[in-house]
Amino acid sequence: MIVSILFGLAVGFLFGYILTRTGITKYPRVMGMLLLKDFKILKFMLTAVVSSSILFYVLGDLGLLKLSLKALDWGKPVGGVIFGVGMGMLGYCPGTMGARIGQGKRESIVAFFGMALGIFVYALLMQPVKGLLLPCEITGDISVLLGINHWFLIVPAALLFAGIIYLVNRKVSDDRPIF
Amino acid sequence: MDNSKEWHWFKGGILTSLLSVATYFIFAAIAERNYPFGITAGFGYIAGMFGTLFEGLRENPVIKRYAEKPDAFIEFFLLIGLIGGGYTAAKASKTFSPEHFPAVWEKYHGKSVVKRYLFVIAGSILLGFGAALSSGCTTGNILQGWAHLSLGSIVAGASFFAGGIVTARILYPNVGGGY
Repeated sequence: MIVSILFGLAVGFLFGYILTRTGITKYPRVMGMLLLKDFKILKFMLTAVVSSSILFYVLGDLGLLKLSLKALDWGKPVGGVIFGVGMGMLGYCPGTMGARIGQGKRESIVAFFGMALGIFVYALLMQPVKGLLLPCEITGDISVLLGINHWFLIVPAALLFAGIIYLVNRKVSDDRPIF
Repeated sequence: MDNSKEWHWFKGGILTSLLSVATYFIFAAIAERNYPFGITAGFGYIAGMFGTLFEGLRENPVIKRYAEKPDAFIEFFLLIGLIGGGYTAAKASKTFSPEHFPAVWEKYHGKSVVKRYLFVIAGSILLGFGAALSSGCTTGNILQGWAHLSLGSIVAGASFFAGGIVTARILYPNVGGGY
C-alpha cells in the first residue's frame, strides 16, 4: 500500500516536471497544435512514441515484459471524439491538467473535479448503452490481424513518425506568434 | 508567452519514453499485472470512491472497477504527484504564474469568468466521459497505446485529434501564424 502510494507520487512528480519544463502544459501550445500551427507537442509526443515503441518491443522480445494491447470497439472512436471536443474546449488533457494545477492555473482545479464527474456520469449511463457499443470487438494486435512479425509494423511506423517530425521541424518554428 | 526557458522537445520526449517504460515494469511488480501507466483511472478512483457512497451504485461495474483495482489507486497518487511536479518545475524555471484562465482565451473570448468556466465545466465532463468510454486519455492511448501499436489506441488517439481540431477551429477561426 505505502509502496503504491510512493510509487504513484514519484511517477506523477517526474511526469509533471517533464511536461511542465518542456512547455507541453501551455494553453497556446495545445490550441496551436489543434489549429495545426504549433507542432512542438506533436514532435514531443511522436519522439516519445517512437522511442518507447522500440524499447517496449525489444524488452518484449527478450521476454522481460508483456504488452496489454487495447482492442478496437465502438467506444474508441465515439469516446475519442467526445474526449477531443472536451480537450479543445479546455485547452489541455487530463495529465497536463494535473501539472497546471501545480503551476497555479486556478481553472484547472474546477476541471479536475469535472473530469471525475464525467467518469461518474459514464458509470451511470453506460450500463444500457454498453451492450450496444461494445460487443463488436477486434483484437488490438495489428501484427496478429495481418499475420506478420511485429517488427514489420514497428519499423515503418517509426520511420513514418520520424519523417513527420523531420518535416514539421524544418517547415515550422516553435517560437512564431500565433495568437 | 515566454518560451525561452523550455526544454527541447527531443529531450522531453526521450525522458517521457524512459519514464513510461520504467513505470511499466514497476507497475507490473506492484499491481501484479502488466499495466501501462495512464491518468484516467486516477480520476476514475475519485469517481469510484464517490460512487461507493451510494448504496445502489456499489455493484455498478464501472464504480466497482475503479474503486477496487490497484492500478486506479496508484494512478490517484500519480495525479497528486503531477500537481507537485508541475509546481516544482514552474518554480525551478521561474515560470510560476497564477491565473484564473488563459490570456489567449481572454484575448479572443473576453473577460467573462462565467463564460470561461462554463466551457471548463462542460469540457472537463466531456473529457472524463470520453476518456472512460475510449479506455484512456492522451497518456494511456497515445504515449502508451501508440507505442504499443495497439489498434484500439490508434483509433482512439486519431479521434482525439479529430474532435480537438474541429473544436479548435470553431473557437479560433481566425488566428495568425500563416505558413
